Amino acid sequence: MKQILFLIILFEFFCCNFIYSKDILTEKNYTEIEVRDGGTVIGNVKYMGVPAAVGKNLYRDWELSDASKTASEKLIFSKINNGLKNAVVSLKDITQGKKKIIPAIRPIIDQQNDCFIPHAIAIVSGTTVDILNGDEQMHNVHTRSTRNQPFNLGTTYKQRISKRFDYPEIIKVTCDLHKHAYAWIVVIEHPYFDMTDRNGYFEICDIPPGTHKFQVWHEELGNIEKEVTIHPKEITTIDFIYSQH
Amino acid sequence: MKPKVLLDKVGFWRATAVTGAALMLSIAPMTVSAVNIPTEVTDLGKDTYKKYCSPCHGEEGKGDGPLARSMLPKPRDFTRGAYKFRTTPSGSLPTDEDIYRTVSYGVPNSTMIPWDILTEEQRASVIPVLKSFSEAFEVRKPDAPVTVGLPLRPTERAIEEGKKIYEEKLECWKCHGVEGRGDGPSAAEQEDDFGFPIKPFDFTTGKFKGGNSAQDVYLRFTTGLNGTPMPSFAKELTDEQRWCLTYYVMSLVKPEGTKK
Repeated sequence: MKQILFLIILFEFFCCNFIYSKDILTEKNYTEIEVRDGGTVIGNVKYMGVPAAVGKNLYRDWELSDASKTASEKLIFSKINNGLKNAVVSLKDITQGKKKIIPAIRPIIDQQNDCFIPHAIAIVSGTTVDILNGDEQMHNVHTRSTRNQPFNLGTTYKQRISKRFDYPEIIKVTCDLHKHAYAWIVVIEHPYFDMTDRNGYFEICDIPPGTHKFQVWHEELGNIEKEVTIHPKEITTIDFIYSQH
Repeated sequence: MKPKVLLDKVGFWRATAVTGAALMLSIAPMTVSAVNIPTEVTDLGKDTYKKYCSPCHGEEGKGDGPLARSMLPKPRDFTRGAYKFRTTPSGSLPTDEDIYRTVSYGVPNSTMIPWDILTEEQRASVIPVLKSFSEAFEVRKPDAPVTVGLPLRPTERAIEEGKKIYEEKLECWKCHGVEGRGDGPSAAEQEDDFGFPIKPFDFTTGKFKGGNSAQDVYLRFTTGLNGTPMPSFAKELTDEQRWCLTYYVMSLVKPEGTKK
């Protein structure tokens, strides 16, 4: 009798513990293998559109806040080679490849002068991102995501928010106090991706040989896809071109 | 029979075991007493949702029912798993009890009525139906509820301290206005996650949407309101500061007669 009663106590104790225990659901579509003679892809993402015509400045003689004078970063392309900035090139439907390396130094998104700097980052899933507030005023950091846990936190001067993103998703980060400010966090499941620089160049290396589907994402211009054959230990050059949307 | 004799008869160990078990049961979280919340979607739940919820929230929970067009604030779109009134941290999914609470008590200043015309069983049966609309409940689990600290006493000093936080530290007035009327400089441009315009809360009405007790108000800015511009200030404020802000915000309520 004694033993049974003790068992009951123990059982209830465990019940109480299990109610609050969290188990994280993980799902894996990507396996890491050793890539010996992988190929490299370099290329350029171009925007062949006409820049928006400069309209008459109706606010010329008005006193405006500093924030409204900063140019929008949503569509930036080089005037020399039409290279598009902040486009993310990645391999689509790849199931195995090189090892995922999570950067030792966390990527940073800073809020300065009511703007998010940088405007977009691409990370591999499992990376922790630091979001800072460099302004001497209140901001908030508001993400809209379904698979990764969204958050909406108020931040004061020199406050730091660290969040880990575990699932592939394209996440918009906004500040509700300053509506024009937003940033993008592109989370990708595998390490085969790159973000274009200010001249639209990118480079992805150690790709297993074979035919792969490449995808480019840009916040304004959407997605384009292209199939490319990768040869072992060779450099393949490809160009992605967005026509006028 | 004397108590001592009884103890001898039953045995010391048995008595301890029974007391221990009773204590353990009292520790276990049982906020919704005697209401059994089903884990699977039941026929009762489906019928109740279709009859009472879908006219506003839509057949598929997208917040697009036939009556939704004429409403502001809009009925909640359940597909994102963003629930406003929770006891869990910012961004987290709600616990079943949180959903049950909102269904039972309704949301003042909106078209969501307290559904106390339904039986407890009916209200509880709707919860798995709501959860089935969002893939978020398959991927994530709700975090543990936040701990509510010991309340301070609502003294003059606490209210004074709260005023400082409201006006200087957190700049709540930017949206909610200096007098708490929801008319701050950033108020006009606010919109929720679904792109609909949303008004910052007017504290002078005194009808707090998540409940009128001090603990409810405390929870609102500790957990934030998912899907709206209202952030969580869990990192910014200490427990004491949060109670001060709670009392200040509650002191902004104007009695009915003194309003303009």
